Amino acid sequence: MSREEILSKVKEAFVSVLEHENFELADETTADDVDGWESITHMMIITEVEKVFNIKFKLMDLMNMNNVGDLLNTITSELE
Amino acid sequence: MKYVKKLQESIDGHADHNVLCISNTFYTYQDFAVEISKIRAAIVNTVEDSEKLIGLVTNDDLETYASIIALWLQGKAYVPVNPSTPLERNLQVFELTETKYVIDSSESSIYTDHTVIASKTLTETEINLIPKEFSGDQIAYILFTSGTTGLPKGVPITFNNVQGLVNAIEAEPEFNLVPSDRCLQMFELTFDFSVVTYLFPLLAGSCIYTIPKKAIKYFYIFKLIKEQKLTVLTMVPSIINYLRPYFPEINAPDVRYCSFGGGALHSDIAKEWSDCLPNCKIFNYYGPTEFTVYSGFYPYHKETHQKAHNGIIAIGTPQKDTLYLVVNENNEEVPVGVTGELCLAGPQITPGYWKNEERNAISFFTHKVNDEDIRYYKTGDLCIKDEEGDFLYAGRADFQVKIRGYRVELAEIEFHAKAKSERKVNMVALDITNTLGNAELGLAIESESFDTDAIFEYMKTKMPDYMIPGHVRFVKEFPHSINGKINRKELRTYFDIN
Repeated sequence: MSREEILSKVKEAFVSVLEHENFELADETTADDVDGWESITHMMIITEVEKVFNIKFKLMDLMNMNNVGDLLNTITSELE
Repeated sequence: MKYVKKLQESIDGHADHNVLCISNTFYTYQDFAVEISKIRAAIVNTVEDSEKLIGLVTNDDLETYASIIALWLQGKAYVPVNPSTPLERNLQVFELTETKYVIDSSESSIYTDHTVIASKTLTETEINLIPKEFSGDQIAYILFTSGTTGLPKGVPITFNNVQGLVNAIEAEPEFNLVPSDRCLQMFELTFDFSVVTYLFPLLAGSCIYTIPKKAIKYFYIFKLIKEQKLTVLTMVPSIINYLRPYFPEINAPDVRYCSFGGGALHSDIAKEWSDCLPNCKIFNYYGPTEFTVYSGFYPYHKETHQKAHNGIIAIGTPQKDTLYLVVNENNEEVPVGVTGELCLAGPQITPGYWKNEERNAISFFTHKVNDEDIRYYKTGDLCIKDEEGDFLYAGRADFQVKIRGYRVELAEIEFHAKAKSERKVNMVALDITNTLGNAELGLAIESESFDTDAIFEYMKTKMPDYMIPGHVRFVKEFPHSINGKINRKELRTYFDIN
């Protein structure tokens, strides 16, 4: 799966949790840049992403995830 | 005041120990003493003696914690406001308490109509931690909780109330903090649970680890447990609900104590969590803000102590000097085994809601115990006392819900949602349980769908973020029960959030 495809699926997961589409996602995007993305919704987004890609993140990876780029990298390595 | 004196002795006596770890920076008790003294001098120089209630902007830094102690040494109260809460609500809090002075460690303060003590820019002074003489019925802090009429409700807690809490915890042989303990402080300082997570470590000379405001709370807590080897955890149950999918990866042998409070602890998850903490004592605490954080606890153990009611761990017995009473709607005691409203009495009871006689008449009453009139607070929580004297939690008696440990009146959300809506339609706020077992807020609107952006923008200026509904559903006609009331249970089924 290409990075663009992954990003597009990730965006869908964000929209389904946050219930709005007023944001762009790029590698450097953090929770600060997206309305409604905070501790609680982050957990729900992670659960949704795991479901969509049929993967299971490790706590160690989640612990050091700081932006969308980190999220995409982790998904990519899980899919390999 | 005994406990303030003890704070002084602890800060003096542990000078070379770490007091706080904030965003990976450690501060010693010596640093803390310097900061407290600076802020205290500024208070003495700026604030009139008669001004007892001082605003405090709750940033995550050394100055903010030092401000609390500086105020206490002077016999004054802190009125905390969260910088991420809408300014209008914070100003309302200051207006209700007639607060004129605000201690603010922010780069630049937005409280321009108040006299601001900018705690980050103060000059060095001599260290002075000797508490002033003052009366124990002075207020130590005032916290505001959600109110049904759209106005937040103030709960003043006196120095005597806090002393009552300290006495009760000191009398508890099962819980003893030591200077080498590393303690989690995950709470906003506007939330009453924070009082035990900074006060007890400070009294023992232990180190407090805070959560940066921008961090993803759940993962940061895990990071602290793993990398800093925390020994004492105090948290709301929703934290472990969110961490649950990752329990198999958690093994924290350093944790000695884990205290829960601020929400129902479910037995299945308690057991699984207990497996992650092989050397830990787990306490299930109970207590409302009106009773100075804790009123009692149940000592959970996955093999020997797992008493529960409907899957919710028991809240156990009252702590030292606290009385529990379970009553019916006429404030009469009900027999053992019968559900009623839990009421609390003892030295930790608030003098009453801030300037709210109407509410006080409803929430407090006197009851004769051994011919003595005792003042009780009605918690709104339903409980059952069992044959062994343990109290079991059985739900809420009203429309208050707990969101991430915060108390929320659903009526307040409905009030603000309807206030600016151009369409005069019925709206109902609901608590909905997600797959992880946590409550989230939903707003049901009795109408064809329409754009709710303006309503939400307005709500965000009026209420803290945890009170903003995360889900909206339009329902053409609300379901009703036989007696004509809106059927909230059925309405919840419209929220297919899982």
